[in-house]
Amino acid sequence: MRLAPSSEQFTSRLRSAHVAARVGLWLGVCFGICFVTGLVSHYAQEYQQPVPFPTSPAWGYRLTQGLHVVTGTATIPLLLVKLWTVYPNLFAGFPRRGLGRMAVTAAERASIAVLVASAIFLLATGLVNTTRWYPWEFSFRSTHYALAWVGIGALVVHIAVKLPVIRDVLLGDVDDDDHDRPSATSEGSLSRRGLLRTTWVAAGVTVLATAGATVPWLRQVSVLAVRSGEGPAGIPINRTAESARITDAMVGPDYRLTVAAGGAETVFGRKDLVALPQRTERLPIACVEGWSATGDWTGVRLRDLLDAAGAASGSDVIVRSMQERGPFTVTRLPANFVDDPRTLVALQLAGRELDLDHGYPCRLIAPNRPGVLQTKWLQRLEVQA
Amino acid sequence: MNAARYALGTAGVLLGLWGVWLISGSADEEELVNLAVWLAAGVLAHDVLVAAVSLAVAAVAATVLPQVARAPATVALVVVGTVTLVAIPFLGRFGASPTNETLLDKNYVAGYLGLVTLVVACAVVSTVIRVRRAPDHTAAR
Repeated sequence: MRLAPSSEQFTSRLRSAHVAARVGLWLGVCFGICFVTGLVSHYAQEYQQPVPFPTSPAWGYRLTQGLHVVTGTATIPLLLVKLWTVYPNLFAGFPRRGLGRMAVTAAERASIAVLVASAIFLLATGLVNTTRWYPWEFSFRSTHYALAWVGIGALVVHIAVKLPVIRDVLLGDVDDDDHDRPSATSEGSLSRRGLLRTTWVAAGVTVLATAGATVPWLRQVSVLAVRSGEGPAGIPINRTAESARITDAMVGPDYRLTVAAGGAETVFGRKDLVALPQRTERLPIACVEGWSATGDWTGVRLRDLLDAAGAASGSDVIVRSMQERGPFTVTRLPANFVDDPRTLVALQLAGRELDLDHGYPCRLIAPNRPGVLQTKWLQRLEVQA
Repeated sequence: MNAARYALGTAGVLLGLWGVWLISGSADEEELVNLAVWLAAGVLAHDVLVAAVSLAVAAVAATVLPQVARAPATVALVVVGTVTLVAIPFLGRFGASPTNETLLDKNYVAGYLGLVTLVVACAVVSTVIRVRRAPDHTAAR
């Protein structure tokens, strides 16, 4: 008995290049958006940036990262339908003669294996990461990033190989049968147009079910949003004080924020910070995992604080948190963020004292910056020479 | 056209190799083995598991359901199937943290079941409408 079927056994006319290319077109668009927004996010998190990430618009990172996660999620049904339409090709015969033909077929199959493996990997790890589940041993960020290059490369190769077919079928009618396998003739209950509409509906439902984590007006609709949007002062938490090992003793009356500039150190207690002029800015907090929320942050303008410590403008600042572990315990704030009037050392959120989980005694909040770099539980600011 | 395709293909290979170079520089041997397992498992999960389940579901639906209900049922199955895959990490709550009440803080079981019920209800309503609109409906009565 044969274990694997042969491609002739798949008879549905829905499994056609005419359907595959139409779904593939949107799949390619979504992968392209994910790739570009992913590059933006990766660059925004780089410790050293040859060209500084811009501070405006303040909602820029919220938009690009929200798009990244929303289009990535929409891609899941698109990929499943695409793979369904081409599934019989997995069992297509291999040429038995002609070394050249065999090599070309093998190379094409290999490129498709790379494309399918990286596409499934990117969508699966991305989805799982939005729920902060890490069931693997490798680093999510560097692996998801590297595989995105592999995936986009394999996609470009696939488009190059299939370009004549893609052009033919996209210019033709969806119900044409050129490019169909000879056995793909049986009419099912659904037409090709019906299957395409079903695919768009599935993608739309998947987006509506999840996007509420970053689109406020979808919160009630998104039954699979990773966060309800609730939290202290109306903003969710990514890393709690407990998981960062911040204790009450560390944030008590002895708490001091040190500003180091030009070899001198200036120390600020929380009362000193409160005594400085207070500003309120409406800024989003946008997490790399795709959720985001807007807050009214009140505190000392970072530029004012640095002026009080005698630091000149135009310098990067190394920001240190009191948390002892974690990849973003020490971050670099580029000079354009340091000098932006909207960048605050925040003491309050929504008119209330900052919650310990939001970074009490004080935290950094800057426009257009990934959430992981909005350092909480500030300990030390070092102005670079 | 062929020159453009070769250029595109070469560009794709270079992009992919750049990704391979990045991963070879950032991951140690153990991580690379784990990554290979994940890549292979993803393909197998689709090509064997998801494909077999969808073929089986389609076969069962084709024998159990009357002709008039098959199109709405297909639409509902595609939507429910993809939503179910997306829902796995939410229903399992694998990433939930005992110290963080703002993460995975919805009733996902109720939400998922509600969504599935809504999709199935749409399919049933659509089937009823199709039966009523069918040309032999009045004759059969």
